[in-house]
Amino acid sequence: MTLRSYVISRILLTIPMIFILLTMVFAIIRVLPGDPVLLHFEKVENPQAMEEMRRRLGLDKPIWAQYFDYVVGLFKGDLGKSMQDYSPVAEQIFSAFPATLELAIFAMIIAVFIGIISGVEASKAYNKPQDHIIRVFGIVTYAIPVFFLGMILQMVFAVQLHWLPVGGRTYPTMEPVGLVIRLSQPPWGFAVHFLLSSIPGLLTLATCLGITKARHRKFTRKIVFAFVVAFLFVWILWAFAGWHYMSIGELRIATGMYTADSILEANLVKFVQASRYMLLPSLTLGLVLSGVFLRLTRSNMFETLRLDFVTAARARGLQESTVTYGYALRNAFLPILTMMGLQFAALLGGAVLTETTFSWPGLGRYLVDRINFRDYTAIQGAIVVFGVFVSIVSLVVDLLYAYLDPRIRL
Amino acid sequence: MLIIGIVIIIIIIAGVAAYVLMMPAGPKLKETLIMGTTDSVERCLDPAAAYDFFGWEIIQSLGCGLVEYKAGATGASSDIVSSLATSWETSTDGKIWTFNLRQGVKYDDGTEFNATHVKYTFDRGIGIADEDGAFVGIGYNGIIENVTVADKYVVKFYLKIPFAAFLSLMACQASYIVDPTYAPETAIVEYNSSRTVRQNHPMGLGPYKLANWTRTAGKDSAIRLEANPNYWNAPGGYPKTKNIIITFYADSTGLALAMTTGDVDIAFRQLATTDVNTMKTNANLHVWEGTGAFIQYLVFQEKYAPFDVTSIRRAVGAAINRTTIVQTVFQGQAQKLYSMIPIGMFGYDDAFVVLGDPNYTLTRQLLNLSGYNETNKLSFKLWYETSGHYPQSPQQAQVLKSSLEASGVISVSLESRDWASYKQARDQEIMEAYIYGWYPDYIDPDDYIQPFLDSSGGSWLHHNYNNTDMDQLIAWARGNTTSTTRNDLYGQIQDLMVTDCPMVPLYQGAAYAVSNTNVQGIYLDITQSWRHWLLYATE
Repeated sequence: MTLRSYVISRILLTIPMIFILLTMVFAIIRVLPGDPVLLHFEKVENPQAMEEMRRRLGLDKPIWAQYFDYVVGLFKGDLGKSMQDYSPVAEQIFSAFPATLELAIFAMIIAVFIGIISGVEASKAYNKPQDHIIRVFGIVTYAIPVFFLGMILQMVFAVQLHWLPVGGRTYPTMEPVGLVIRLSQPPWGFAVHFLLSSIPGLLTLATCLGITKARHRKFTRKIVFAFVVAFLFVWILWAFAGWHYMSIGELRIATGMYTADSILEANLVKFVQASRYMLLPSLTLGLVLSGVFLRLTRSNMFETLRLDFVTAARARGLQESTVTYGYALRNAFLPILTMMGLQFAALLGGAVLTETTFSWPGLGRYLVDRINFRDYTAIQGAIVVFGVFVSIVSLVVDLLYAYLDPRIRL
Repeated sequence: MLIIGIVIIIIIIAGVAAYVLMMPAGPKLKETLIMGTTDSVERCLDPAAAYDFFGWEIIQSLGCGLVEYKAGATGASSDIVSSLATSWETSTDGKIWTFNLRQGVKYDDGTEFNATHVKYTFDRGIGIADEDGAFVGIGYNGIIENVTVADKYVVKFYLKIPFAAFLSLMACQASYIVDPTYAPETAIVEYNSSRTVRQNHPMGLGPYKLANWTRTAGKDSAIRLEANPNYWNAPGGYPKTKNIIITFYADSTGLALAMTTGDVDIAFRQLATTDVNTMKTNANLHVWEGTGAFIQYLVFQEKYAPFDVTSIRRAVGAAINRTTIVQTVFQGQAQKLYSMIPIGMFGYDDAFVVLGDPNYTLTRQLLNLSGYNETNKLSFKLWYETSGHYPQSPQQAQVLKSSLEASGVISVSLESRDWASYKQARDQEIMEAYIYGWYPDYIDPDDYIQPFLDSSGGSWLHHNYNNTDMDQLIAWARGNTTSTTRNDLYGQIQDLMVTDCPMVPLYQGAAYAVSNTNVQGIYLDITQSWRHWLLYATE
């Protein structure tokens, strides 16, 4: 099976998976006791208002009609309107997503860094005091409830030492806006837009050429040439149309992740503030996750270090660190990679306890709030989005497998 | 080489860390106060649809009503002072209210405020009749017949029924005047992240302008208020603080920690009992305590046994020990309540004291009438909610169970549901006795009586209490404008309530706010309104 067909088949498999997931969630939340209509009326309820509300939320239709409407909406890319505050669910989820992504990325970096390095050191010093200390550290960090660890860190660093803040994403009034380019002057504006629009275009082009080059050596020049011309044509058209129809007169590039955006904005103060607020939540979550990586790395490395090629590498006179990290760890890495993928996908689902402890506005809190309010559309939307994330992450992990280990044929 | 490299990296990281950590917490903001809260605007800032505490709190700072309650109010009619209306009068039958409006008040764009804006506001609210909003919830349509522009600065309200609490209704945030430029006649102004901040709310004329409002994941993440130079009371020096920044925390622990570390200057809603007690011992903080308007009560389902018999209801009411609730559960941060009308409000009368607190002799006596005694105990289920909708419900239920069982003739088993299922169970009328709470829409005893004791007004509670005498008394009380007569009538209503005992008031919560010692201007009165424009920090 070629890489291209493998990727395509994996993407196609995602669709039935999402549908099964959606159907299950759809049924389960409607079976749960608790009526979203009732929750809109804190106090007095008059029957006409309740009927109106039921109609407005679409709950007066039979279940199969609701399901059908929702699925049709999904195909159009519309995740529906929240039953709690009538805002588009897609907008709510994607406003929370950068915050969750940021937390996930930093927590993963810390977890992987601490976990893998301690795991490797523990495996090298098997059964010696170092090993025991590191193993206890791993168990303690994994067993400790994440909100408890978060609170301890808050008490120490925020309350006692006043070094770091208690919660939130950044200091109020210092939210970064990202890179803002005023495009009022036509030639400059167009040029900048053209260049910026080139980035995703070039990446796509490179990936396509890379994939085709690797697998189809018999690709004819004519086809490549036609492809490039078509691409350039679409690119210029899109750049021009985009510039022409922009009503704001400025281009704003923002990821929503405050650390990245403050770099884009080239504002050091904002970057420092965003990092200060980022530090405790990611440290908490990272420490708790590091336990997993620590034990996994330790057990895999232990086996790998006993293998012949490691002894051979040492015999050849290579330095110990090269042997451990360059040779042994690389070979033991695959299970760790699986775990990284699983943990990252889980983190993308939101870390409710960390988000509550540090008042971090992420997807975990969002989902819990909406379940309490029986906001069916928001719950379905969030689950669908999580399902898509998980499939993307697992696809990427599988592709990385194939890349890292030439023995694996897709 | 590697070791040298690692050492260099460690030194660099240490240096950067030191630089970062030594930086001050943030820029020194002039004339700004930072307030922390765990609340969030539920849906929008449109008075025609907003019906949540925090939404009203922000609407109150962005807009103005015809009248308002002065700070420290008790709910008496003398506490209502002029805001956008300078004077008012009512006809003898209480059905026509005339308001003379303040002149020279301008909206953002320079348009002068006049009677047409008042008519527009109320016509719009009643016309849209959004099911989520106060216009439907309170029933403006059943009270107001129409609003007429009698003159440029004179507006007349024609009511369907004589409604004594009309002024209180005009003082509540649902009656705040909108800016027609930003308030479309048939649509609610919802939050929309792609619009400007000004387009996201229809208010104007208030002490503040909305400088920033962002929502993430369906909850507020940042609100900033900036002084409005067009505010009618700006010459009086209001608002006292030019900028207010509101930051949001996920739970009371986060908020309490932020208050302790100084990340915020003021903390209000919701602070847990233990956090308040801890902060009381902190010399750098000032804990403000005030009248709460939140009450909790025990409701009896009268449709079937055992609570279809009045003497049984009274017996259980007599076995309640409010001291344990207030001391054990709330550590003194609540008050025992013997009246459906809260303490501090006009019309308060501790009618339930006659039942005792507790009076187990009376309990045993009354239960004996129905054949219940030590060997044949009255047994029923006591229901409570578990979503944190009310403070510490499981503990309250536990304490209630103990005090009822201490009588020796009652046996209670506890049942719980999360909030959504609890409401459903209430409507299905499957709960024999359940704990419920209430906070007011408008500050008038009528809002604490009619929604419970009136056979139609109380139907939402599904407790099936019907007494035509009570209905008559309530109608008289809400229609009469003389305070002494009303006071009298509410006394009679409460006495009848103790005789019938459809529900028993348990306690009244206190309101708490915490601030730095240099912050002044916090008034926690019966209106429960948080007046941002009165806050200021001394040096």
